[in-house]
Amino acid sequence: MRKLLTGNSAVSYGVMLSRAEVISAYPITPQTTIVEELSEICSDGRLKAKFIRVESEHSAMACVAAASAAGARVFTATSSHGLAYMHEMLHWTSGTRLPVVMVNANRAIGSPWSIWCDQGDSLSQRDTGWVQLYCQSAQEALDTVIQAYRIAEEVLLPVMVLEDGFFLSHTSEPVEVPDQKAVDRFLPPYRPRYKLTPGDPHTFNIMADTSLFINFKHGAQKAMVEAKKVIARVDREFKSRFGRGYGLMEKVRCADAEVILLTMGTAASTAREVIDQYRKQGKKAGLCRLRMFRPFPAGEVVRLLSGVKKIAVLDRDNSLGAGGIVAQELKAALFGAAHKPKVFEFIAGLGGKDITPETIREIMEVTWNNAHPKGEPVWIGVQS
Amino acid sequence: MKKKKPIKKKPVFPPMSLSLEGTQGSKTGTWRYLTPAYLNKLAPCNEACPAGEDVEAAMVLSGQEDYIGAWEKITQENPLPRVCGRVCFHPCEVSCNRKEFDEPTAINALERFVGDQAFHSGKRYPPPQEKKKEKVAIIGSGPAGLSCAYHLASMGYGVTLFEALPKLGGMLRYGIPSYRLPKEVLDQEIDNILSLGIEAQTNVRVGKGLKWEALKKFDSVFVAAGAWKSLPLKVPGEESKGVLSGLAFLQKVNSGETFNLGQRVAVIGGGNTAMDAARAALRLGAKPLVIYRRTKEEMPAWEEEISEAEEEQIEFIFLSSPIKILTENGEVKGIECIKNLLGPPGKDGRGEPRPIENTNFTLAVDSIISAIGEAPDLSFLPHELQKAKDSIPVDETGATALKKIFAGGDIVTQPRTVSYAIGAGKKAALAIDATLGGKNVAEALRLARWGEKGSLSMARYKSGGSDGMAQEVVPFAELNTAYFKPQRRKAKEKLDVAQRAGDFSEVAAGLSPASALEEAKRCFNCGVCNLCHNCFTFCPDLAISARPDKQGYAINYDYCKGCCICVEECPRGAISVEVKK
Repeated sequence: MRKLLTGNSAVSYGVMLSRAEVISAYPITPQTTIVEELSEICSDGRLKAKFIRVESEHSAMACVAAASAAGARVFTATSSHGLAYMHEMLHWTSGTRLPVVMVNANRAIGSPWSIWCDQGDSLSQRDTGWVQLYCQSAQEALDTVIQAYRIAEEVLLPVMVLEDGFFLSHTSEPVEVPDQKAVDRFLPPYRPRYKLTPGDPHTFNIMADTSLFINFKHGAQKAMVEAKKVIARVDREFKSRFGRGYGLMEKVRCADAEVILLTMGTAASTAREVIDQYRKQGKKAGLCRLRMFRPFPAGEVVRLLSGVKKIAVLDRDNSLGAGGIVAQELKAALFGAAHKPKVFEFIAGLGGKDITPETIREIMEVTWNNAHPKGEPVWIGVQS
Repeated sequence: MKKKKPIKKKPVFPPMSLSLEGTQGSKTGTWRYLTPAYLNKLAPCNEACPAGEDVEAAMVLSGQEDYIGAWEKITQENPLPRVCGRVCFHPCEVSCNRKEFDEPTAINALERFVGDQAFHSGKRYPPPQEKKKEKVAIIGSGPAGLSCAYHLASMGYGVTLFEALPKLGGMLRYGIPSYRLPKEVLDQEIDNILSLGIEAQTNVRVGKGLKWEALKKFDSVFVAAGAWKSLPLKVPGEESKGVLSGLAFLQKVNSGETFNLGQRVAVIGGGNTAMDAARAALRLGAKPLVIYRRTKEEMPAWEEEISEAEEEQIEFIFLSSPIKILTENGEVKGIECIKNLLGPPGKDGRGEPRPIENTNFTLAVDSIISAIGEAPDLSFLPHELQKAKDSIPVDETGATALKKIFAGGDIVTQPRTVSYAIGAGKKAALAIDATLGGKNVAEALRLARWGEKGSLSMARYKSGGSDGMAQEVVPFAELNTAYFKPQRRKAKEKLDVAQRAGDFSEVAAGLSPASALEEAKRCFNCGVCNLCHNCFTFCPDLAISARPDKQGYAINYDYCKGCCICVEECPRGAISVEVKK
């Protein structure tokens, strides 16, 4: 069925179709309408789930983690400061290998106060052991939520699905809502191997002695590596059933490109237009939209760039004292590569500033017109 | 066939740190240095009840709609709940912790409800389980005498009540008008007490019809003859026709006599007798006028009596004292009064009235009821008991100067209220039992105390104080009021004022079942576990569980880490912390 949905609404539909059993969340702009709609969906009976109101995001994550440990399929959503507040529980959840699915509507973290989009909130949680999938459209958000449960429940790692606040969360587009029966066939009920149940008591998260701690971390690392294959396989299967697939990354005119723009999220849709314009001018420009940030597709990126001279990385985030987080990951991936393109780094669109076609063109021009990067990221839009 | 090798299963290393058993293996109780423990404490209402009722237990049971259970708790201590539920001045409510939060719980109205419910469902006092050979004489069948008779008879003693008036009940019958305490209710309560096998001799005045010496055949005597002598006004004209003492007037009214007071009746005094007299006069068709020497603030009458008198538009003249009764042919025609100023506070803290010169005024009245106080008549007593002027001196156990003779109620020095009299009757019963049983009386009574205000409990007496109740009173500050919602107290429904004049129908209506339950649930249940489940919910170690007998919760000290969150979250202070030595 085709519906006109916002990104947030599409997420709610994805959760409903995935038959989540326990939902717990605390409202925060721009995530709020996800849980508002889900609470309605739960109260009117479209989804038979326990909706637990809590007093904080820390509690929301504790709630869904506990429910997941008890064997329920769970969902939560947050944004920005809410995500930061969950930080401790993010580690616990992944450490307990609980297949929690969470949507984070990307929003800048204060100070200064801002409710608008950037990706600093989720990228600063990159080391918490969560799979991170960045979406570009409402359709992709809906589909990715469904895929996320398959991935999480197979590799036993929590999955964070990202959507740009307002640019995606609050804009409407036609979305194909899959048939429930088709989703049920794609996503069978969650059957955990270990769960909290009175008949078979366990203690989860008991203290690991010094010789064993590393085993658990190594196990999780192996699961993260495995996740890359699972994400690709689940996406292929999804495509064969529903006709839509997204891959680990979306490549636009990259095959013969001399300069590739690498970014994540909704900025890619603007960039796509600019790349097309360059192509019309005969310039060999390409676009790579990274969908999977954790695990980082290092091998895939190295292969993509094996014939490329320059790459422009547009980060909608910044790690103070180091630069754009995506660029850092990319450079680390390229370190051992036989062919190393020149990496031009750009910071733009922080705190909700629009990334317009002009922004993209400025980035592309700098990359084209300079033989070497300056050695530090170029900040776009800083007022002098 | 080739024999299959058994497949050796290598233990699977789970993805997350996980015990293969439950949490029981980890005995976190060893971490504890603070130990929480359930300790039922005393609610302030319990300590304050002069009759020694287990108010808090009755309130818990009422909150569970177990009114019969509540009645059994109350009547273990006080055989007159339907009387007290109507006429007690309820010190329990004055000390109720809920008054610090919104309004005190309507304990008194609930007591009436519980008593009426039990009566109408046929509950009667169970006969004594054993019969004792000792016999006790009780002089006076008022609340003190009835209470003593009930407790002694329940313990198996042979009890004989001697009553000077034609019917039993003392002040309950002859002092309190039926619009406050219907005679029918009183009769039913007395009949229930008598059914325990108590012998009652009415119209027998000790010292007149029966010589004091005749009591010697009894093993013990309780003197509870009350205070029936009205104090004189000491003004000229007091002997005139048309001047009545408050008690004499009430006794006539309560005996069903009808007489003409005339139009205008002056009632002198500010106590309960004065209020009762004025309100009774109103019901006889007169227009009463209360004259009191101090102001309304100093009136010793119970506040509810004053406010009901005001509702009935009874007139008050304050700061005035009668100085002369004006007569014509020996009949009252009027009263001359003088205005007072309040001087510095006297012994009781109230300002002493001082007449102001040349402020005399006269009022035309048809009759005068003097109700300025009562004193006991001690003339029938052996001279050893007549040593004090207006009371029989007794020690802390109620014992008089004569062996095995006890006294209590209005005849000794104690607050003159129904509930204090009931308490005194119980004290005498306990003291008599302890004396006849050869116990250390003072110690036996000490162990039977509720708190420190002198209330005594039959249940505690029987258990020798080993009922597990801590005698520590829970103050408001120890409650966790986050768990309570402000809620108005159920107001008493009262007879329409227009219907009260000329009619002795009961003024206050009882609570409806819905209101009673709502009110019972308003009770904080201070210091007593009422199975609210909070401790169970909050215990982070799952160390708290409901007891199999459903009478409370148990703490498993193998796992209790001593965080004492339960102590904090108990809304009613029923859990305490003990520091581990």
